[in-house]
Amino acid sequence: MTEPAGQAQGAPLLRVEGVVKRFGGIHAVDGAGFEVAAGSMTALIGPNGAGKTTLFNAITGFARADRGSVRFSGEEVLNLPAYAIARRGMVRTFQITKALEAMPVIDNMMLAAPDQLGERFRNLVFHPRAVRRREREVQAQAMEVLEFFHLAEHADAYAGTLSGGQRKLLELARALMTEPQLLLLDEPMAGINPSLGRRLLEYLQRLRAERGTTILYVEHDMEVVMNHSDLVVVMAEGRTIATGEPQAVREDPAVIDAYLGGAA
Amino acid sequence: MSVGALPLAVTFEAFTDIGFWSGVLVVAGIYAVVTLGLQLNVGFTGIVNFGQAGFMAVGGYSMAILVLEAGLSFWLALPIAVLVTMGFGLLIGLPSLRLRGDYFAIVTLAMAEVVRLVAQNARDLTGGNKGLYCEFEGVNQTCFDDAWRSVSDSMLGFFESFWSDPEPLLPLLIVIWVTVVLGVVALTYLQGTPWGRVLRAVREDEDATRALGKNTLLYKLQSLMISALLGALAGFFLALFLATIHPDDYEPIVTFFAFGVLILGGLANYKGVVVGAILLWTLLEGTRFVELPISEEKTAALRFAIVGAVLIGLMAFRPQGLFGKREEMVLGD
Repeated sequence: MTEPAGQAQGAPLLRVEGVVKRFGGIHAVDGAGFEVAAGSMTALIGPNGAGKTTLFNAITGFARADRGSVRFSGEEVLNLPAYAIARRGMVRTFQITKALEAMPVIDNMMLAAPDQLGERFRNLVFHPRAVRRREREVQAQAMEVLEFFHLAEHADAYAGTLSGGQRKLLELARALMTEPQLLLLDEPMAGINPSLGRRLLEYLQRLRAERGTTILYVEHDMEVVMNHSDLVVVMAEGRTIATGEPQAVREDPAVIDAYLGGAA
Repeated sequence: MSVGALPLAVTFEAFTDIGFWSGVLVVAGIYAVVTLGLQLNVGFTGIVNFGQAGFMAVGGYSMAILVLEAGLSFWLALPIAVLVTMGFGLLIGLPSLRLRGDYFAIVTLAMAEVVRLVAQNARDLTGGNKGLYCEFEGVNQTCFDDAWRSVSDSMLGFFESFWSDPEPLLPLLIVIWVTVVLGVVALTYLQGTPWGRVLRAVREDEDATRALGKNTLLYKLQSLMISALLGALAGFFLALFLATIHPDDYEPIVTFFAFGVLILGGLANYKGVVVGAILLWTLLEGTRFVELPISEEKTAALRFAIVGAVLIGLMAFRPQGLFGKREEMVLGD
């Protein structure tokens, strides 16, 4: 796989090592580790209850890990506050869509832009013109991204009036407004109809090609996983049990065993 | 009156009396100021603050103590008391705003009661149940509102030049309503800024907002501290209106009336707060004049029943309040 310029050959964008997350006596994540290469599309799969979402939470600062290491762009980010991790360029979406429903679509989008002067009191009082200028930039950028996702005509509608699939798209579009280096998508295809799912995949492929965005996603649809991933990471019972190219993983006996529940 | 023979009668004379209206508008204005803070917290940030009475008490007591005990000028005591109240808000918010919403509500309710009970018992500082008003040193008497009285008197003197018998509450009324208007303008402006957008996002979904790189705790703290500031201002006005500071004036019922104003006016709208405050207090004070063939205590209790019935009716037929947006109610959940 070709690395983007500036990225040292072989240095992964994200390196997860030995992450442990316990809830009482239950080891929800019990020593998970894998790497995500810059510019790649990596799938995280595993049976229900394998700990995929908990691992996502631990990586992105939404759950406190008990042990382990998460290095993003070479820096340790484990147990930093969630907002701080997001600002570094590692941005997630949620399994259950979190559209800000009683806000217009355009406000959902504009909220997510980084470096907004107008989020600080000092600037509102002392630099009102600079605030307005940045606000216009953000709005133009938001409309551009909405066009890309064919959501521009809904810009002024409340997000809560969108269909389930459109909300998924909005959440993805909103995450992109943060200008992320790495997108973590928790079941982006869940609960949307197949044609919209195909469109979403096309968007993701275009993002990689046009912006070099790295994508790590949790997905249950094996056809999607096998056809659209450079690398597949398999989790079972809190551990990462296999990592490899789709074809190799599919034939891995440990993976087959995990999915068939030891029937072999 | 000829209608006196009817079982239910309302005398309307009071409604043309300027004394009645200035009393109602002073109290309504004070409640509008407190409730603007609630609107910012509950309507625009989604944090349920049940402690506004506590912030009023901290503001009022700090101001009076600074004047009477520390001997500070009233005009210097005001900004210091505001800062004390905002600092107190920060102290309360820092641990409790990390909690889930309903726990935060309980903490603020308890905070307000702790403030009131401390005021009741720290007699050396707060005068306990005697309250605070004046200090006597020999024949010299210092009251916390001396400076305000002289301003108020000179304003009344000015009014007298074109109006024979000016209403004594008028100066306070003017100051309060100028504050209300400035508050509405400033908060409405803030709501349209990127800062206000982050607050609304926190109200909608705090996790989603954190995931987009916003330090949500910081915004919730700012929201609470602005609310504390407004509480302190309302505390000053109440102290000047009553010419005393007494623990009983800061019972939780004050916060609940403010919530009544909020519900009446509607969530997520600052103008609604103003209209709600005037309506609620016209209703509460106006029902004093309902004459019924029952004892006075029963009439007094019935007043609250009438106001309660109006609020219930409103919740049933117009849950978004007078000015709230129905979309924001329905889509919120």
